[in-house]
Amino acid sequence: MLNAKIPAGPLETKWSKYKSTVKLVNPANKRKLEVIVIGTGLAGASAAASLAELGYKVKAFCFQDSARRAHSIAAQGGINAAKNYQNDGDSVFRLFYDTVKGGDYRAREGNVYRLAEVSAAIIDQCVAQGVPFAREYGGLLSNRSFGGTQVQRTFYAAGQTGQQLLLGAYSALQRQVALGNVKMYSRHEMLDVVKVDGKARGIIARDLVTGKLERHFGHSVLICSGGYGNVFFLSTNAMGSNVTAAWKAHKAGAFFGNPCFTQIHPTCIPVSGDHQSKLTLMSESLRNDGRIWVPKKQNDNRKPTDIPEEERDYYLERRYPAFGNLVPRDVASRAAKERCDAGYGVGASRMAVYLDYADAIVRYGTIEASKRGEDNAPKEEIIAMGKGVVAEKYGNLFDMYAKITGENPYETPMRIYPAVHYTMGGLWVDYELMTTVPGLYALGEANFSDHGANRLGASALMQGLADGYFVIPYTIGNYLADEIHTKPIPLDHPAFVESEKKVQGQLDTLMNIRGKHSVDHFHKALGKIMWDKCGMARNEQGLKEAINEIRALKEEFWKDVRIPGGQHEFNPELEKAGRVADFLELGELMCMDALMRRESCGGHFREESQTEEGEAKRNDENFSFVAAWEYKGPGNFDLHKEELNFEIVHPTQRSYK
Amino acid sequence: MKLTLKIWRQQNNQAKGHFETFEVSDVSKDMSFLEMFDVLNERLINEGKEPIAFDHDCREGICGACSMYINGRAHGPWHETTTCQLHMRAYNDGDTIVVEPWRASAFPVIKDLTVDRSAFDRIIQAGGYISVNTGNAVDANAIPIDKTDADHAFAAAACIGCGACVAACKNSSAMLFTSAKVSQLALLPQGDPERKQRAMDMVAQMDKEGFGSCTNTGACEAECPKGISLANIARLNREFIAAGFSSEA
Amino acid sequence: MKWSQFFNTSIGKKLLVGATGLFLCSFVIVHLAGNLSLLKEDNGEAFNIYAAFMGHNGLIQFIAWGLKIVILLHAIIAIQLTIRNRAARPVKYAVRPGNKTSSWYSRQMAVMGSILFIFIVIHLSQFWWAMHYGDLNTVSYNGAAPIGNLYEAVWFAFKELWIVALYVIGMIALSFHLIHGFKSACQTFGLNHKKYNGILHFIGVWIFGILIPVGFAVIPVVIYIKQI
Repeated sequence: MLNAKIPAGPLETKWSKYKSTVKLVNPANKRKLEVIVIGTGLAGASAAASLAELGYKVKAFCFQDSARRAHSIAAQGGINAAKNYQNDGDSVFRLFYDTVKGGDYRAREGNVYRLAEVSAAIIDQCVAQGVPFAREYGGLLSNRSFGGTQVQRTFYAAGQTGQQLLLGAYSALQRQVALGNVKMYSRHEMLDVVKVDGKARGIIARDLVTGKLERHFGHSVLICSGGYGNVFFLSTNAMGSNVTAAWKAHKAGAFFGNPCFTQIHPTCIPVSGDHQSKLTLMSESLRNDGRIWVPKKQNDNRKPTDIPEEERDYYLERRYPAFGNLVPRDVASRAAKERCDAGYGVGASRMAVYLDYADAIVRYGTIEASKRGEDNAPKEEIIAMGKGVVAEKYGNLFDMYAKITGENPYETPMRIYPAVHYTMGGLWVDYELMTTVPGLYALGEANFSDHGANRLGASALMQGLADGYFVIPYTIGNYLADEIHTKPIPLDHPAFVESEKKVQGQLDTLMNIRGKHSVDHFHKALGKIMWDKCGMARNEQGLKEAINEIRALKEEFWKDVRIPGGQHEFNPELEKAGRVADFLELGELMCMDALMRRESCGGHFREESQTEEGEAKRNDENFSFVAAWEYKGPGNFDLHKEELNFEIVHPTQRSYK
Repeated sequence: MKLTLKIWRQQNNQAKGHFETFEVSDVSKDMSFLEMFDVLNERLINEGKEPIAFDHDCREGICGACSMYINGRAHGPWHETTTCQLHMRAYNDGDTIVVEPWRASAFPVIKDLTVDRSAFDRIIQAGGYISVNTGNAVDANAIPIDKTDADHAFAAAACIGCGACVAACKNSSAMLFTSAKVSQLALLPQGDPERKQRAMDMVAQMDKEGFGSCTNTGACEAECPKGISLANIARLNREFIAAGFSSEA
Repeated sequence: MKWSQFFNTSIGKKLLVGATGLFLCSFVIVHLAGNLSLLKEDNGEAFNIYAAFMGHNGLIQFIAWGLKIVILLHAIIAIQLTIRNRAARPVKYAVRPGNKTSSWYSRQMAVMGSILFIFIVIHLSQFWWAMHYGDLNTVSYNGAAPIGNLYEAVWFAFKELWIVALYVIGMIALSFHLIHGFKSACQTFGLNHKKYNGILHFIGVWIFGILIPVGFAVIPVVIYIKQI
């Protein structure tokens, strides 16, 4: 049984007690301690900057051409914080409670409470950095509501909240680069964790421009490399998002937690053809005002605007009257799939539902008209005013939809369908964010910790920044305090040599296959298996088939992949090949995890385990644990369990009705 | 659709580049511009040739990685649209499309259409931040900010650092990029204490990187995928003048 | 930042170009006001008195030399910047956007400026040189001391069609140089504000870009026509 090292004592005092008793490193010693940070998204950039501010020597790595391009940049909707600026009853406890419930009782209470506790400080920190959050006319911060909650606790910057938060963290990081406290390595990819005497002591990285392998020492290594949604090929992740750093850490001994917990986001633009390279998210904030519906008739070919009100099925409002269109993501996604599978889908592929702004446009138009004292304005004018208000709130999203689909969402309802968006699973970490390898940490989406089986909207940004700004600066000291006598390990140490040889071996093998099919060919094949059999709904037979199919695909990959170009040059195909090789191994583990977890919870829906109404049915008696998998060799993983103890929140059947 | 593509190929920074012509067929109007490249690259790989290297990542128009100069236009013909969000609806059967990398001495070519934009990072390092260590912040609502200022700051902060402004400018000037960051921080009270030093240091770094100077043609604003306004450049000029005239050193 | 550093930055240099440019803008107004007296039907009295005053007043002479230095400074710094700007893109684009992203005259400031410079040299050698070092006929009005008859020299010069054409071309260059130049200088000084941009645009386009160059160009054209 795994020990998460959650501090004893009442929930509300765990973190403050931890902070006041944890070991410290004095400033003179911090200068001698080196920390490697992999990834420069919200978690990585905030951690690298904060640790450098404390005085540690930091090396930060990212595969993108600049730290500013990490995929946190694409987060649209917002960031939660228990500020209660709206006076609507929010509190640290409520945020904690909503998150545990939203995660379908598969998250650790201690971690989630800490997350809720530090959430308010994140907003303060970001505002101090100059993050331009949306404001009201009085000059104070504005909030909106998000799925799965009944309070307005989400801070936002139009539909570009992730961008603004990341640029805040990026600028803090660049400041430390300028001060010489951080050495930045962009266009570098981590390809192995180097361990000495069981502890993480460095990495092997490939300079993606020259193709050269490099050895880097660190007293500890932080994996902040994001999620692995791209295992599905089509997802809302960036093209480059990958599991490689996390997977190499896993193979170096870090357990992988709840790999099958994947979030399928309900509001994405549907697939348009075989050429599709990625899926585009339409912010969940659209569900605040938009109404989701399908025709009441199957295979209805009429234009949406021609379908009269009484022939529309607003299925979320019908099934979940209390939360309506604002149910959590997993619930909304499954409901859309259910309607489409039953033959009520819309669009050419019939795999889409409508997200309709017509009502919101009239509603906002009426309010606007009344504000201007034109209560009796003709309908067209009210609609025009309403469109103006909607454009102000969601303009950038509507424009994006129009560019991608060629349709005007102000005139006709948008077509949406769920798509892979976020992975709650990740490297298993304890309360201090340390993996099972001493000195090796995982932060942000790369770890599994705070979201249980389903993440609430606007919580990913909160967690990434909480880990980086406010958790790791305290917890890493507890480890590094004992490392002050460890001198930097020379780079010709056998562990580095051995590790580099292994990495070089894999690169040579890949280059020498000279097969017939491109990397994307295999990636797409893997994605299809994963989406069909380990996607929104999973069952025993499908998962077993998937495992066999992935194994066969993996074998074929290593025999038949074709990588053009050379190894010692800029070669994006070679980069992709390494990442897909890791996705193939991860995909298999995800299916094994999903097969093992014979219950439905959050984003993990096992068809064998549902209520009569088709809702997810948990099995707390047997599955109230975190599954942490240990790598034992190719296709061979051992399951370890971390029992989940709920002292405060009592798991019940989640209800949003 | 059938299209003729003339694409800049360059093995590496030292090599001499040239245009290579490709005929592509079966291009669907629903494809994004980069998806057309994916399909072409897949074909090249199958033919045993090297695919075209180009920067791209989020494909949602926000990361700023994609950077193609298409038929004389940074990010192609659509207004306020990155290359990744440009869709093939913009073209007709039989069109010829010439694709070049961003061209500037400050953006050396790495390979084909991929360029090195680390000069932008160094401009930010020179002062594109507010010096506040983690944990040093007052309550977020302790500093009310005029909504108009906050909105202008946000509009400037929307810059994605793609470099289209440099690519579009006949002088390869980075003024729009630099001014967007200077403006964002100058408009906010939090940025006030460092505003003079910031303006001077960022301009000095911008010059050092070898970008050209601004001749106010407005091409950067016209091509900026995020609609960053020339008003920011004027603001940078004001900040710089004020800083230069009042600094003691 | 020392002054030497300040004026060596790209913005610092642009400020010098802008400041000298705006000074020259103010000069063309005065110059035009004086020159319009050429069209007065008084046998050149007003113009010659004006020219004599301008040519002999100490302060104005001082400013006139300053003016020439300003023109040179404006040109030299602009050339420096242009060289730097060209160097910033060593490999040119194969396809250019034409006028889709900017106006042609905003991109051709160096060309328009060069035409203007050549024009100014010719113009000065024609009249300013003649006034100071040449042998103009003299004329006396109302018994006052005789003064140089520049009026006569001007009328003589504008008998030639090619000289008139040269002046018109020079003024076309001035027009486009100022349509962009005035607004551009304002922008360099940071004058860009929603409320005032309209008036700046009006002054740049209608006053400096059209009214003044047309006013200048009218003089040789009218004089030429009158002498046909």
